[in-house]
Amino acid sequence: MDTQTVAKKALLFDSTRCIGCGACYSACKEKNKLAKTSVNFLRDNLSADTFTVVNRRNNRYVRRMCMHCNEPTCVSVCPVGALNKSAAGPVSYEASKCMGCRYCVQACPFNVPQYEWDDPITPRVRKCDLCRDRIAQGLPTACASVCPTGATKFGNRDELIAEAEARIRANPNRYINHVYGVAEVGGTSVLLLSDVPFDSLGYRTDLLQQPLPHLTWNVLHKLPSVVGIGGVLMSGIWWITKRREDVKRAERDEEDAQKAE
Amino acid sequence: MRRFNLIRPKVTFWRVILVLVLLAGAYSALLRFTKGLSATTNLSAQFPWGIWIGFDVLCGVALAAGGFTISAVVYIFHIEKYRPIIRPTILTAFLGYSLVVVGLMFDLGRPYNIWHPLIMWNPHSVMFEVGWCVTLYSTVLMLEFSPLVLEKLPWQRPYKIVKSITIPLVILGVLLSTMHQSSLGTLYLIVPHKLHPLWYSPLLPVFFFTSAIALGCAMTIFESYLSLRAFRKQLDFHLLTKLGAVAAVTLSVYLVIRLIDMQARGVLSQAFQPTYEGRMFLAEILLGVIAPVVMLFMPRIRNNQFGLFVAALMVVLGFVMNRMNVALTGMDRSSGVHYFPSWNELAITASIVGAGFLLFGLAVKYLDVFPAEDMKEIAEGKRAQLPALAAFRAPLWSATTMAFVMCLLFMGASVALAYDGIKRRAEPVSLPEGTGPIDLSRGLAELKMPGPIAIKMGPSSPGLCVFSHARHVNAKDPNCSSCHAGLFRMLAMTPDITPDRKMRNCGTCHDGVKAVGILQKERCDSCHAKT
Repeated sequence: MDTQTVAKKALLFDSTRCIGCGACYSACKEKNKLAKTSVNFLRDNLSADTFTVVNRRNNRYVRRMCMHCNEPTCVSVCPVGALNKSAAGPVSYEASKCMGCRYCVQACPFNVPQYEWDDPITPRVRKCDLCRDRIAQGLPTACASVCPTGATKFGNRDELIAEAEARIRANPNRYINHVYGVAEVGGTSVLLLSDVPFDSLGYRTDLLQQPLPHLTWNVLHKLPSVVGIGGVLMSGIWWITKRREDVKRAERDEEDAQKAE
Repeated sequence: MRRFNLIRPKVTFWRVILVLVLLAGAYSALLRFTKGLSATTNLSAQFPWGIWIGFDVLCGVALAAGGFTISAVVYIFHIEKYRPIIRPTILTAFLGYSLVVVGLMFDLGRPYNIWHPLIMWNPHSVMFEVGWCVTLYSTVLMLEFSPLVLEKLPWQRPYKIVKSITIPLVILGVLLSTMHQSSLGTLYLIVPHKLHPLWYSPLLPVFFFTSAIALGCAMTIFESYLSLRAFRKQLDFHLLTKLGAVAAVTLSVYLVIRLIDMQARGVLSQAFQPTYEGRMFLAEILLGVIAPVVMLFMPRIRNNQFGLFVAALMVVLGFVMNRMNVALTGMDRSSGVHYFPSWNELAITASIVGAGFLLFGLAVKYLDVFPAEDMKEIAEGKRAQLPALAAFRAPLWSATTMAFVMCLLFMGASVALAYDGIKRRAEPVSLPEGTGPIDLSRGLAELKMPGPIAIKMGPSSPGLCVFSHARHVNAKDPNCSSCHAGLFRMLAMTPDITPDRKMRNCGTCHDGVKAVGILQKERCDSCHAKT
């Protein structure tokens, strides 16, 4: 498919509809063949074997997973391009390229990427990849396909944003008047609706509205000119000071010669 | 020249310490590569970069600052009187970079892929640029350092080739290390939500660069004293005094920009708040910037050998404090955990530093790191006196003594502030779950459970069994995870679950205890249709 025509996919999570049944949690484990990590899934955390969780926060159930940013910080910081954003939305990881610097873990504004700390030789970065292979087959993500209440809904990003706004308009008293993920760090492919403040659910509300990669690119893109100008400048200084020394030496030699005469 | 006796080395205090440190490091290294990072470090997804990045990389790279500062001064600006210091600074820079690479071999999860940035490009990544700079600058340093080795060889051709490209090498080296020093600051530009505002600033690259220049001067002073103590060799004192003055001016500029920037961002007041971050910031600025600047601006101290040494040491300490504050203190609050390096992390770091001292010592002993005239003077006994001892013979009432007292007060105050800060480190708070009942009405109104699932009949089946979600799920508070966590698949269904005599599927719950048992044949019709 041509990248131009691929519609950007997304997930809409409506915390007012979530009943904390854990279907998404279990389906994700099944789909990604992840080991069991908890007795009570509501108390589980993201880990190398857990790509999504349902947690209880502020008397609500709320999911956490990779937000699949439009301009992902992790993709921008990876020195070897092991993380990639595809046109359809998923941010996925290629272990064979990775050198394990964990800059992605450090830089992610949502603290999503996890690491296989126990593996001494071939640790991988682990996170949700928005069921890239299922999406390619035209299927919804595993979590969305099993959600019994429609709290997690899969679809095209622009349509989901329109639907989220419509839900807010239909029930302005219930919802916080904000679709989380439309503008946060330049927009994400996971959108959230809530009836309580997002920060009480563990989602930061002080995030910049611009994509974070711009912060470093503003500096990095200047480097070629720094090298060019700096190189010329230093060569110039070298030439001038050398010339000065040469002239001084020549004058001294001349004086010596005159004295000798 | 004294030769190191390999068969029976002299046992000294520092050698014993070094051997112990290296042993602990070797054990930790073994553990790191057999048990992994979780067994050797206190790193976690919340705190993925610890002391190996904060100290080994951020501070190790800065050791090279002396190299590029002095090389530029001598080769580019033709200020020839600094030529005698070039070699020790280049050596330190080379060792610093080698040790950064060694440190990275422990920190990187897949160290054998360290060369990947060279062929797998992502120019948007600061780490990519850092990787390239480390590689290129290590090569440049190796070439800059190579004359020391090549001149010892009988063949002069390689020596002449390297000598002839000195100037382009120096220019390249200065550019690379300039970019690199600032890039380490740029690394943290992408974590505006994580790094505490006392350290996060759009000007981080500028701060990292200017402080590295000051550190370059201070390290040169510091090393020349260490080599004096160890090898009775010393550099021309006036050169070191001038370097001290340069460090003081650079640090003053650095401090002024930093304070103006903080004022502009409206976070200056946070420095004085009684918090962990505020106290650590004050300790860093007082001990590592203001105190040495004051000392170095006083001619009586700057021109005193011991005074200059102490001031330089404080600049180095202040630099390390700054980098550790950026990498560790500043990230503490947002991480939600309290990171403190494990003893293995500390042992490996200490071993790397120890190996650096060892290699520096060996190089000084076997290569012409210091100018030959100095060696002659030492042989003639002109330069045998330790500056520290000389300083202590000065009259007690001198301004120098006053300055030392001041310096001790500064140090004491800084340590006290840091101690106070650590006590004030707030415990990480987790978000409240809430205790009230959760309103599920909206979700339950939308609840759509899967329809009945007819299970494929086996030959001995007493009748068709149809599984009904409605009968098995608590409709008031459904928990899908209790059956779907590993037992029954959700995405690819496996209806062929007969015969279940091994109690793997239905039998897991229908065991006669939790629910009606499947092996109690008289109750078959509770699930199986009568035929």
